[in-house]
Amino acid sequence: MPSAVELRDITKRFPGVVANDGVRFEAAEGEVHALLGENGAGKSTLSNILTGLYRPDEGEIVLWGEPVSFASPRDALDAGIGMVHQHFRLVPPFTVAENVILGDHRGEGKKFMVHPRRIERNVAELGKRYRIAVDPRARIWQLSLGEQQRVEILKALYRQARILILDEPTAVLTPQEAESLFETLRVMADEGRTVIFISHKLHEVKAVADRVTVLRDGRTIDTVDTGSATPRSLAALMVGREVSLAERVERDGEIGAPVLEVRGLWAHGDRGGDALRGVDLQVRTGEIVAIAGVAGNGQRELAETITGMRAAADGQVVVDGRPLRGGDAREAIRAGIAHVPEDRLHTGVAPSLSIASNVVLKSYRGKQVTRGPLLRLRAIRDHAASLIRRYDVRGGGPELPARQLSGGNLQKVVLAREFHGDPRVLVVASPTRGLDVAAIETVHRYLRDAASSGVGVLLISEDLDEILALADRVAVIYEGAIVGEVDAGATTVEEIGLLMAGGAG
Amino acid sequence: MIRFERRLRQPGWLSVAVPVGSVIVAFGLMTLVLLATGHSPGHTFSRLLDTGFGSKVAINETFVSATPLLFTGLCAAVAFRMQLFNIGGEGQLYAGAILGAAAGIALGNHSGWLSVPAMIVAGAVGGAALALVPAILRAFLSTNEIITSLMLNYVAALVINYLIFDSQSYWRDTSSPTAKVFPQGKNLPEAANWPLAHVGGLYLPFGLLLGVVLAAVIWVLYTRTRFGFEVQVIGDSPRAATYAGMRTRRKILAVMALSGAVAGIGGASQDGDFRHTLDPRGLTAAGYGYAGIVIAALGRYNPFAVCLIAFLLGGLQNAGFALQGVDFPSGLVGVMQGLILFCALGGELLVRYRVRLGSRGAQRAEATA
Amino acid sequence: MLVAAGGINNAVLVVVLASAVVYGTPLLYAALGELLAERAGVLNLGVEGMMLVGAVMGFWAVQRTGSLLLAIGVAAVAGGAMALIHAFLVVTLRANQIVSGLALTIFAGAAGLSSYLGNDLNLADQPAKHAFSPFLPRSWRTADVVGPVLLNQSALVYASWVCVALVAVYLSRTRPGLNLRAVGESPAAADAMGINVVAYRYVHTVVGGAFAGVGGACFSLAITPQWVDGLTSGAGWIAIALVIFAFWRPTLCLVGAYFFGAFSGIPFTFQARGILSGVPPELFQSLPYVMTVVVLVLVSSAGARRRLGAPASLGTPYVREER
Repeated sequence: MPSAVELRDITKRFPGVVANDGVRFEAAEGEVHALLGENGAGKSTLSNILTGLYRPDEGEIVLWGEPVSFASPRDALDAGIGMVHQHFRLVPPFTVAENVILGDHRGEGKKFMVHPRRIERNVAELGKRYRIAVDPRARIWQLSLGEQQRVEILKALYRQARILILDEPTAVLTPQEAESLFETLRVMADEGRTVIFISHKLHEVKAVADRVTVLRDGRTIDTVDTGSATPRSLAALMVGREVSLAERVERDGEIGAPVLEVRGLWAHGDRGGDALRGVDLQVRTGEIVAIAGVAGNGQRELAETITGMRAAADGQVVVDGRPLRGGDAREAIRAGIAHVPEDRLHTGVAPSLSIASNVVLKSYRGKQVTRGPLLRLRAIRDHAASLIRRYDVRGGGPELPARQLSGGNLQKVVLAREFHGDPRVLVVASPTRGLDVAAIETVHRYLRDAASSGVGVLLISEDLDEILALADRVAVIYEGAIVGEVDAGATTVEEIGLLMAGGAG
Repeated sequence: MIRFERRLRQPGWLSVAVPVGSVIVAFGLMTLVLLATGHSPGHTFSRLLDTGFGSKVAINETFVSATPLLFTGLCAAVAFRMQLFNIGGEGQLYAGAILGAAAGIALGNHSGWLSVPAMIVAGAVGGAALALVPAILRAFLSTNEIITSLMLNYVAALVINYLIFDSQSYWRDTSSPTAKVFPQGKNLPEAANWPLAHVGGLYLPFGLLLGVVLAAVIWVLYTRTRFGFEVQVIGDSPRAATYAGMRTRRKILAVMALSGAVAGIGGASQDGDFRHTLDPRGLTAAGYGYAGIVIAALGRYNPFAVCLIAFLLGGLQNAGFALQGVDFPSGLVGVMQGLILFCALGGELLVRYRVRLGSRGAQRAEATA
Repeated sequence: MLVAAGGINNAVLVVVLASAVVYGTPLLYAALGELLAERAGVLNLGVEGMMLVGAVMGFWAVQRTGSLLLAIGVAAVAGGAMALIHAFLVVTLRANQIVSGLALTIFAGAAGLSSYLGNDLNLADQPAKHAFSPFLPRSWRTADVVGPVLLNQSALVYASWVCVALVAVYLSRTRPGLNLRAVGESPAAADAMGINVVAYRYVHTVVGGAFAGVGGACFSLAITPQWVDGLTSGAGWIAIALVIFAFWRPTLCLVGAYFFGAFSGIPFTFQARGILSGVPPELFQSLPYVMTVVVLVLVSSAGARRRLGAPASLGTPYVREER
């Protein structure tokens, strides 16, 4: 098969990092080619170069034998490259049709005026041709993440993309939805398009791709046929050493009495409407309970309501048998609820403040660090230094602004602070998103240790592998309600996947 | 092609070099403006320096101009630190002047030394009360504080005019025959005149010293206390503050009240230090509140930097008043302040980013292509 | 009281409505301009300064050339030039939009460039050589109610209606308008689809400034008509608030502008007619400012939590290449 796209010795530097270091990559017409690598291996940078968002410092891009140079994303789009970003590039208040035609400047796009009726018709026809069902008049913010992803694919097809790049496309899908996405991708490849599938999940790569190129630390490690590779061999290529694939590890410690009880919890979402609809939950000491679900089904609201950041519309949060007033984070902290938030950079820490300040973010009123109304800055610094040593935070000392830490080290700072408060309950949301394998292992170890020491852990995650590796019980959330609860040791990905799509069906 | 790269470490010397550089560049741009409008920059600048800083007399006058700027600069710095854009310093200063004058008049000459602290407290209360209006609206109804605090400047200016020109108020002088024709405020009693420190030929207004002390207090409050810690966190990331259980609303009220109180004391100092009456024309013509924003931004909200910059801009303002005329057109001071602020904002970029001209790699790639 | 000696057209309500249109027009131009900039994601708090520079330069141009049309053009260019400074600072240099806008107001405002230019060009105390005035046939202008309110107006008023219609169509029905809204709502999405975010932000900020310049010129070429330092007296700020009340929609700007125009006109009308002469004039003069606060409170308590209509990226710089 002729080669559709070839990247020759691409190098891209950012201040302090070489994101791509002489990367070589080649994909043929009509193939699904996976780009496999850990978080931070340089996959996203490479795709941003290919779509004209970044300009490479060195190296060249060759499309169908012709060297090209992209001055802007528009050049890449015109050259036939379409991309589905991990965080969708859609305009939420726009209709589906408006999003699809956005930026089009050829053919129909030359016209100065936009006729909503006509573009809606065009988009509906396009959807019909590729069997991608979405209502062209719907507004993006009304759609589920799975539907939004279909809009992104339609956008690429509308612009006649011959090379389609998808960045971690299954992160927002149920396992069953992922299957159907894979079928769509196969159809597109059979039409002669090139699909570049970026992932760090081995079984997906095995399931969908013809070939795999593995990136590590910004370099190309190897390109292999999927048929001849095993998950274990791919993992070794990806991480650079033999790794134990996420497997269940038995913990010490006993599961005891209920420490966190959530009773009939209702809460409003940011756009109004009910984000939580009567959630009931129970976490016992020493237990890890996972909340599984497709992103956007009320997970963030659940974490925020339990930890007092959001007021409940109805229902109760009970810690150690005592109900909380709710809507008051300080009260929740006093009751022993620790919280590792989803957005660690802007919620978990104050990014411009020092590590030292962030370490006392919740305990700055405590006796150890204050003298009357004054802060004991020396004591705070010493405390931070000791936590930095104990939790092996790398990248700088107590005075370093938190935003300059890498994702993994930042998460260690958050965990260090939260554990240090001797919590009864730990609410963790997507604790390993964006981290590399070593950091993931560390975070998982900390969570297991916390449970072993008698803390009740509520793990909210969209990563089923993570959930199955850590949790004792799994509760599945769908549209703000718990639709099922299963024993993590005795369930399958398929069973949870069905629940994630809304339960019985 | 110009590119910006985020700096990993921000070198310390930049925080001094950038403001100094901005002032120099601003003077350069000012030169262009003067040339374009047919003035001699050399002449204008040398007169400006002479009149602002050239002699002990000039410096004494600059102290007079710098005093209100110090207060309004601190007022803006205190609020802006927490990303609360209180641009009502102007109106809060009037409010402080009104209540400060009332306290001075009410106590007369009988209470001796008590007049001065009473005026300070009254001024602070006036400024804080006015600042609490946008604060409450912001905290409880999430109303944009920029517009509300600004609108209240106009209202406060109308109130102060009303008190002297359109009513028989407590503040208005109704006894003397001239005052019946030309409305003016009552003269404050002797005891309400704030003391003046005399050091080696320089006269330091009491308000100026008070402002410097306030700057030190604010610095301690913001860098060394729990209150300041909360302000830092809220200013940096309101979500992190909510997460940590901080009471953001109370902090908005407290910081705005503090900010308004500082401006209000500045108003009382106008009564006690300089004008010795409630003087609507003089107060509303000066634009102290707006200059305060420039000062706070240039000082990067650091109270001590505000002291220094208030002095420098005080010299500029003093010279602006003294020289107003053919070769020193009105408006020049505002143009200067604006230019300095533009340059400081642009310079801020140099602190955060490294500027690269062209891109070696990309050029090489294109050459081989 | 309602129908006075001069017939219905002399009734207080009619006079107030007529002055609402007169005083609302500068607000309308300025608000339309600010709306365009904000739709691109650029908050420009320098409206007051841009209006004043537009006013002074427009007045200068009419005194020099005698052409009102040229004067409007000069005012637009002057306002646009001021906005260009802001655009450069916030788009290219990524400066804080709030502080930069305040800096622009200080630089260009009542104690800044506008005053400097007025002083330097000796414009104060000059009577206007030409001014915009009503031009429709006399019989139309004296028609009952609609005459004084709508027909006895200058070309600036009618042009402002055209501008409202043009901006409304531009935003909702044209491709650049669609792109503009995308840039304001989600610059990352617009960028990924090949739309030049920087260019859109520059162009609409500068055009917004031009509108503000014309708004300022309404004062110096039609309402006052002469040059006085600070003659806009806060209209620029009211225009910024107006964009919020109008939920970023041009047609609602029209309604809002006349609402606030009425409050701006009331002090003059009442004073001229001796209505409520016992009440201090400051009370009426403070109405536009107080009403701005009141309406802003009503609007924000109704929908601020959801930022009704506000472009999502308003006030934030867009940086593509950052890690």
